[in-house]
Amino acid sequence: MKYLAVFLGMLMLVSMGCAQKAVQMPPADQQQLQSIQQGKYDPPSDNKLKDGEVLEEELARRDRDRMRDLSLKDQKSAAQFKDVLFDFDSYAIKDVYFQQLNETGNWLKQNKNILIIVEGHCDEKGTVEYNLALGQKRAEAVKAYLTKSGVDAGRIKAISYGKELPVDPEHTEDAWAKNRRANIKFD
Amino acid sequence: MKRAKLIGMILYMCLFFSASLADARVYLDVFGKSYKKITIGVPPFKMEKPNGSRMDMTELLHKDLDFSGFIIVAPPSLIDKELTDEGIEKQEIKFNNWRSIGIELLCKAKVLEKDGELTLEAFLYDTFDGSLMLAKRYRTKTGEWRKAVHRLADDILLNITGEKGINGSKVVFASGGGSRKDIYMADIDGQNVKRLTNYRSICLSPSVSSNGKYLSYTSYKEGRPNLYVFDLESNREIFVDREEGMKIGTSWMANKATLAYSHTSGRYSTIYTFDADRKEKKSLLRNEGIYTSPSFSPDGTKMVFVSDMYGTPQVFIKDLVSGDTKRLTYSGSYNSSPNFSPKGDLIVFVAKFEGSFEICTMNPDGSNQRVLTSGGINDSPHISPCGRYIIYSSNKGGKSSINIMLFNGENKRVLRFTDGNETQPRFVP
Repeated sequence: MKYLAVFLGMLMLVSMGCAQKAVQMPPADQQQLQSIQQGKYDPPSDNKLKDGEVLEEELARRDRDRMRDLSLKDQKSAAQFKDVLFDFDSYAIKDVYFQQLNETGNWLKQNKNILIIVEGHCDEKGTVEYNLALGQKRAEAVKAYLTKSGVDAGRIKAISYGKELPVDPEHTEDAWAKNRRANIKFD
Repeated sequence: MKRAKLIGMILYMCLFFSASLADARVYLDVFGKSYKKITIGVPPFKMEKPNGSRMDMTELLHKDLDFSGFIIVAPPSLIDKELTDEGIEKQEIKFNNWRSIGIELLCKAKVLEKDGELTLEAFLYDTFDGSLMLAKRYRTKTGEWRKAVHRLADDILLNITGEKGINGSKVVFASGGGSRKDIYMADIDGQNVKRLTNYRSICLSPSVSSNGKYLSYTSYKEGRPNLYVFDLESNREIFVDREEGMKIGTSWMANKATLAYSHTSGRYSTIYTFDADRKEKKSLLRNEGIYTSPSFSPDGTKMVFVSDMYGTPQVFIKDLVSGDTKRLTYSGSYNSSPNFSPKGDLIVFVAKFEGSFEICTMNPDGSNQRVLTSGGINDSPHISPCGRYIIYSSNKGGKSSINIMLFNGENKRVLRFTDGNETQPRFVP
């Protein structure tokens, strides 16, 4: 019994010593452990470039991107999309917008790389929920017109904002007329 | 003479039995065609150590009772010092004096405060015979004294009308401005306002399931309007509908975790149900045109919705058992946003008149249509779980706020929560 107690005591001493040893780390490792614990750890990489150093390949790629962005910008600025306005509670496109939409359709057929979003909006009158559905129908009506004139439907998204994003925040007949619209954006 | 006495006795016994059969005496049948409001006296609560909150508590009870629409609270100026100083126990009260100033019911209360705990001891008397209608103790943390008052107010209303008040209710709504709108939850008294979304985007049409577990809403946080179902208990998104087009108009079935919403894309609209427990999505109705704003009868056998199948938005009801669809609204060119009462007796909706949009009610067969508001753009009406209150948004002069009124249009109140434009309120069941 006595021996057992002594043995246990010694075992405890040994294990405590070991435990203490286990947490001893070189200072650099400790720092790393800390930053891992704080979620800030950035593993060291061998092929890391010094500040300001850029691979030639990367430079060339950026150049290409810039050129493409520029030409896309030119291309996009050449397009002039105008709003299509609607009557209250209607998603029928009025005759006066046919010409305008034909031009948009032709432009899209010539610029086949361009994707667009048609956004449908409503005036502040009426209920929020119905207007969200109505806005969708307005956007779909413009999308359907463009699709019919030969633009691939896959290039056009239709999104409704209901009465959430008016162009004119006033509460007049004039403002309402402007807000009942479908506008075209680049995707 | 003897016979008259006998009849009197029998009548008395009948009354006695009917009174004991019913759980509580119902003083007001609020669903009757008309009712007279009951006048109640609420003298300042007694307090061991009088401080500011005594007045606040009495005042809040005044407000809660007045808010109910069924009660007239006697103005404090009517209650003189002698009446104020009187004790709260039955034997200390001179009911004659209260009766003489026209008070029918009397609520007296005492507040005890100890170690951050607050006890509100309240009595409600009928001044006609001095009978005790309610005696109850409410315990809360001192900081949550409003809760104790709301519970007392709801119990008083239960005693008088046979149904609890809504002073302890919560609501969800959308609030914000410009291209940012968030979903909020708050106590109906404007306290504990919590923002539930934070996506720097537009979030709309919040609705909470009848078991209070799920929140559904539509958000543009991924660039287009998708429908989300959020588990409020585990704080996790459990469902997203990312199909192209507009997904909107959520309402939950009673006693079920089943959501209904509409999806408009291309030429078609579809009304879907989604079972949040089983994660099952089903199509209920699909047609050309606009079909939106579904809402169910409490037994789940009927669904009201809006459709433009005849050219303008009108309210329809579909019998989900027989499959028959019936048009409910014929007057005017714009009827929308229907919501079925959880009691099944009313449908509330929005109708256009000249330049305004008004909240209206009708019976589930379309009869008895009534206009409850006047002027402005009133929208998104929703009936309380008890079936007696209608919460809705009202836009007058460009600012939208949340309003509440009784089912008959009486007792309109503006509720205040945030600084933004507040829309689409819904009761949290």
